[in-house]
Amino acid sequence: MVEIRIHGRGGQGGVTLAKLIATSRFLRGMSVQAFGLYAAERSGAPVQAFCRFDDDTIVNRNLIYEPDHVVVLDPTLIGPAIVGGLKPGGWILLNVPEDPERFASEYPANLVATVDATAIAREHGLGTRSVPIVNTALAGAVARILDFPLEEVVEAVRHLGFSDANVAAATDAYNAVATKKPVSVPTPSDNGSARPGAVQPTLTFLEGGGGSLPLVKTGQWASEQPARQQYVPPCNHVCPAGNDVQGFLHALAEDRVDDALEILLRTTPFPSTCGRVCPAPCMASCNRIELDGAVNVRQLERYAGDRGNVSLVPAERRSQRIAIVGSGPAGLTAAYHLALFGYGVTVYEAGSQLGGLLRTGIPEFRLPHDILDMEIGRILDLGVETITGVFVKRERLLKLAQSHDAVLVATGLQELRGLNLGVADAEMVVQGIDFLDRVRSGDHDIRLDGEDVVVVGGGNTAMDAARSSLRLGAKSVRVVYRRTRNEMPAIAEEIDEALEEGVIMDFLTQPVAIERMAQADGDLGEHHIICRRMELGEPDDSGRRRPVEVPDSDYAVGCHRIILALGQSPDITVFPEGTEVHEGSELLGILETPVYAVGDLATNDGTVTAAIGSGRRAALHIHQTLTGEVLVEDGQARVRSDVDVWHDEVIKSDALRMHLFERQGVTEGAALEPERRRTTFDEIHAGLTDPSEAKRCLSCGVCNECDICITYCPEGVLKRVGHDLVFDYAYCKGCGICVTECPRNVVFMSQL
Amino acid sequence: MPVEIVTGNHAAGYTLAVAGEANRNARGATCGIYPITPQTEIVEKVAAFPFTKGRVVPVESEHSAMGVAIGGSLGGARSFTASSSNGLAYMVENIMVAGFYRLPIVMVAVNRTLGPPWNIWADQGDTLMLRDFPWIQFYCSDNQEVTDLTMLAFRLAEDHRILLPVLVSMDAFILSHTLQETDLPTQEQADRYLPDLELPHRMRHDDPKTLGGLVWPDATTTLRMESHEAMLQVPAAYEQCRTTFKDVFGRDPGAALDTFHTDDADTVLVASGTVATTAREVVKRRRAAGEKVGLVKIRMFRPFPEQALRDACASAVKVGVLDRDYAAGVGGVWWQDTRAAFQGRRDDLLIQGYLVGIGGGDVTPETVDRVLDDLGGRDAAGGPVWTDMKPEEVVA
Amino acid sequence: MSTAIEERGMPEGAGVLTAIPEIPCTEDCLLRPGNTNCGGCGMSIGLTMLGRALAEANETAMFAIPACCGAVTAGAFPTTSYGVPTVNTTFAAAPAVASGLAAVRDMNGESGQVVVWAGDGGTYDIGMATLSAAAERNENIIYICYDNEIYGNTGGQRSSATPPGARTTTTPEGKREDKKDIIGIMAAHGVPYAATLSMAHPADFRRKLMHAFQTEGMSFLLIHSPCPTGWKSEPGDSVELVRLAVRSGLFPLYEVFEGKRWRINTEPDGADPAEYYKRQRRFKLEDLDLDTTRRVCAERFERLKKMAEVFPA
Repeated sequence: MVEIRIHGRGGQGGVTLAKLIATSRFLRGMSVQAFGLYAAERSGAPVQAFCRFDDDTIVNRNLIYEPDHVVVLDPTLIGPAIVGGLKPGGWILLNVPEDPERFASEYPANLVATVDATAIAREHGLGTRSVPIVNTALAGAVARILDFPLEEVVEAVRHLGFSDANVAAATDAYNAVATKKPVSVPTPSDNGSARPGAVQPTLTFLEGGGGSLPLVKTGQWASEQPARQQYVPPCNHVCPAGNDVQGFLHALAEDRVDDALEILLRTTPFPSTCGRVCPAPCMASCNRIELDGAVNVRQLERYAGDRGNVSLVPAERRSQRIAIVGSGPAGLTAAYHLALFGYGVTVYEAGSQLGGLLRTGIPEFRLPHDILDMEIGRILDLGVETITGVFVKRERLLKLAQSHDAVLVATGLQELRGLNLGVADAEMVVQGIDFLDRVRSGDHDIRLDGEDVVVVGGGNTAMDAARSSLRLGAKSVRVVYRRTRNEMPAIAEEIDEALEEGVIMDFLTQPVAIERMAQADGDLGEHHIICRRMELGEPDDSGRRRPVEVPDSDYAVGCHRIILALGQSPDITVFPEGTEVHEGSELLGILETPVYAVGDLATNDGTVTAAIGSGRRAALHIHQTLTGEVLVEDGQARVRSDVDVWHDEVIKSDALRMHLFERQGVTEGAALEPERRRTTFDEIHAGLTDPSEAKRCLSCGVCNECDICITYCPEGVLKRVGHDLVFDYAYCKGCGICVTECPRNVVFMSQL
Repeated sequence: MPVEIVTGNHAAGYTLAVAGEANRNARGATCGIYPITPQTEIVEKVAAFPFTKGRVVPVESEHSAMGVAIGGSLGGARSFTASSSNGLAYMVENIMVAGFYRLPIVMVAVNRTLGPPWNIWADQGDTLMLRDFPWIQFYCSDNQEVTDLTMLAFRLAEDHRILLPVLVSMDAFILSHTLQETDLPTQEQADRYLPDLELPHRMRHDDPKTLGGLVWPDATTTLRMESHEAMLQVPAAYEQCRTTFKDVFGRDPGAALDTFHTDDADTVLVASGTVATTAREVVKRRRAAGEKVGLVKIRMFRPFPEQALRDACASAVKVGVLDRDYAAGVGGVWWQDTRAAFQGRRDDLLIQGYLVGIGGGDVTPETVDRVLDDLGGRDAAGGPVWTDMKPEEVVA
Repeated sequence: MSTAIEERGMPEGAGVLTAIPEIPCTEDCLLRPGNTNCGGCGMSIGLTMLGRALAEANETAMFAIPACCGAVTAGAFPTTSYGVPTVNTTFAAAPAVASGLAAVRDMNGESGQVVVWAGDGGTYDIGMATLSAAAERNENIIYICYDNEIYGNTGGQRSSATPPGARTTTTPEGKREDKKDIIGIMAAHGVPYAATLSMAHPADFRRKLMHAFQTEGMSFLLIHSPCPTGWKSEPGDSVELVRLAVRSGLFPLYEVFEGKRWRINTEPDGADPAEYYKRQRRFKLEDLDLDTTRRVCAERFERLKKMAEVFPA
């Protein structure tokens, strides 16, 4: 008689394997038995099944305690228990991908065979992903080791009504089995005894039993277990300032305004400013666009900046002194971080007021003075010294380098691009930057009442100049831009608002000349601006399609004033001849003091946010150069230690469970009516009245402690301990609900 | 309370209610009630009782009637119900549960023929089908016994050495609907006789346990043995309850079995219920005529009083067992248990079974005479004798 | 439309759930770790959610459990996976046993919920009479049916809660009959509270439990309870499946008060029932008449809506 014991897990088909083996023998005319050891086990629990066959009629009905062979359906069951009572020299068939040699030392007294039945079952689509049914494959493997012809097993599989996929699995396993001979001469005592002892009296419910904790460590049932992972949210990835966007939104979602501001202030000293003027690439990349529109990050940053309250404490004062040339966003950001590090910082500003382009180039209806003053004040409160009215040229820079431990040059873009329009009237052609500066410093004294104004360009300066012109009384304001709206570098919202306010936009239009008209009676000198139609050709280096002139398309537009907003370029004459200016790298050739160019001067990016990022990176570089201390730039660094797997890749919307999120429209906050706007420099936007918009953040790839996983864990073995998510692997059955239900993909299943 | 003339049902219903009320200072009483002829009066009596702390739940079936009793008992309340015949059959699943859960529930059953075909008259086949469950069973011969054993049943069931449910049975109509003078317990007596119920394994929020989860064979064996040991304690505990009963009520509810002229009898009849009282009249008459006949009236069927029965039949050479019940293919249930009591101990004893009053047939002194006549003429036991059939119709 | 739509989809808000009180993984849990339920078992989720709601409401409970997977959940004596006093009753008897427990509780002036935790077989089939009687008596109990639409404990046979088309071991060609309208049946008894619950809507789920805790008399709660073993689905899909059932109208979420007033909690969003069926191997798409299913779902919801309009809660 041959007796086989099968170790498996509920749902894997152990009893059916016994039945398959028995059937194959029954069909050869043998006496057989196949049976399971039934209890309350459920899918995944360790279970046993048995099979006997003999040429003579089998009469005994007890369990099998000294099997001739054992079969193990689940790799996680492999251990000393599986060979209890196993006769020496008998087969141990394991469902594992490894070579049988791997188990030589563990089971020296037995023949070991291995086959990757799980892979075979999955390949043939048997069972579910988490519980593949491996019995038919293992039936094939059993046939092979016990020297039955494959046809006999196939016949049994068919006899029991199984599908072709099962036949294929049996066949594959039959052919794939690997075997190993015993390494030692077996002795009868090798595997001990599996026979039960006499019944011992046990506790009863009258004696108080029935309330003890379960003893089953159901974690042993799992073939997979959940773990935590984290991805980079697209907003964090694209933020030029390096802000932890997800992080501050999460704090705001929980109404922790001060925490949100604290998170922002780790990277930027200008949240209130950026919350008004940032082009917000985070919003352009927001995964929520696919659902119902980007999270209004800009307004939320403003909310945190305007309403949060954080007191900053610089590190202990260091001896080194650092000079910063230029008080625009890059210079002030660098000053901010360096001051926080404890350095003595002096900022040199050519103008009379700090802020650079923030102050001179952005009209008050977008960025009120008091906001800017507040944020600059926060920097100065850190002990940053400022010297205004000093225009640093090359010689002065060299002196600064001698007297400081590092110098940072953040003079921005000082060279304004012009346009050759032939015989131009100097008075009627003005640079947008200068115009905005005058408007701002002149307290809006200048008036353009009755004028037709043409603004040339497509950036924010063009929009600001156009909109300021309207507010100064212009009769009409027309923006001419040589590409289409899609290529305009200005913030989309600003373009929309300009249109709302009545700015006319001529796209695919290039001004080529100005003609002076006959002087009318009025004070205003009227000109014709000759424009030429353009069309978009092949993309240029910037990736934008290059505008190409349309022949014979010139037309004339009457105007009284032309504002040029064609962009700026850096003035690097402050540096020694031949200095190559790259962001972040130390400029060589200027004494031994490290000198850096930062912000627009180095990057030519043109946005406040990029300048902030540049300033911060420069501060970190300087600190690293002076101290050797390497600081991680990434705002997300703190959470890396909390997760099992860190992905440096940006998470896309297709990796989120978007259907789990409820649709909910964007909250915009109140704004002045377009009619009203045309007459005032008051700020257009009132800002958000509460931070609930932050709850729209999907927290892509980053756990935001929504605890949906905990809510759904059937076992209650998931806990939040502080900010950490703790899986109790002793009991986790590995069902994977925490993975499928995590809307942001921060839990994954790892194979055991 | 003075002696009253009441039916067996009245006596049972009233006693159940008074016993339940006696637990008012503890966790009260619960009762699931459902009608079935001929016990309906019992539950009507209970439903009408003004309990201080008690709830009578009028359910939709006997199954639920016992279900309510089980729930009430698990909650710690004194719990009881009543049923009969097919009602008991429908209740069986929960009757079993009450026993296995060791709940001191008391049930009064009116013995009625199991159907179909439908027959409402006396037959013990309904309660005897419950014989293998861990329930104590009593069989009554008159309304006073119904009253006294019902009262005693609570004290016995709730004894912490016992904790088994008790069934008190009476013959349909012959007791249930027959008016008879009966000394009913007063509330004061019941209060004195029955201590407050304290169920050791009642469900408590401060000690959460699961009752009735899976048990492995070893725990099952232990539980069965524990039941068996409790059953073995019943005779002694019963005697204590009986003594206390005498103290409180001033009368004797009787032993596990009564003997009548058995001391020197060569022929002994074994009977239960009302058949036993009729048989007693015949034995009395035959004794007067000089025949050495005796009678054993068994009151407690479970646990079966084997030793007392053997003692009572010490001088006997022939024993006739009267069964108002029929176990298919075998004969009477009492007969089987009697034979088992002597098996291997008195193999010389002739033990013959007689089926009497099946389906409520009237058991008259003449019936008993026929039994004794048959027994006297025998030199060996045979198959069950269908006493009520004409001899030519009896299949041997 | 006057129908009150309280909740749509999940998660509530836009991804932030209300804080859930932390329940330590100890014996205080209603369902203890180490229970032997299948991975991904919907009943386990339901029990866990019930446990949290009880803790949040500072309530205790006693369980009466008829034969069902929940009875086996306790595990082998003398251990138990239940952290509350529990009695396993016979298959049909749970509401009666609970009636007894509730009677003793009430007459002793004690607190705590008496809960029947029953599967669909014990509810729709064998226990129907007992349940009906307890409802008619308006027993002060909470009856919770976790409906996995199958006799799971015995290996997957049809019950009268099995949906049409589902293949079970006793309907190898797929069941032909529709499910019983158990809420309609309970509403017809006029129980104070009857409601359907989906674990894919945890806030609604919680609220309904809280309402049941507060209800004098009987509450009947029907939980759509995924069964990966019986439904032949991925364990990890359990919650998604019952979510799809709500979204497609196969399992509408609604409440009935005293059998007189209706309230719909979630409006189906038009998800295709085929999505629900496709993820379970108990269904074979070729067996199903999806057009009929869609029509039946739509009609059922229309009826509910009408009730909620005419007899609003």
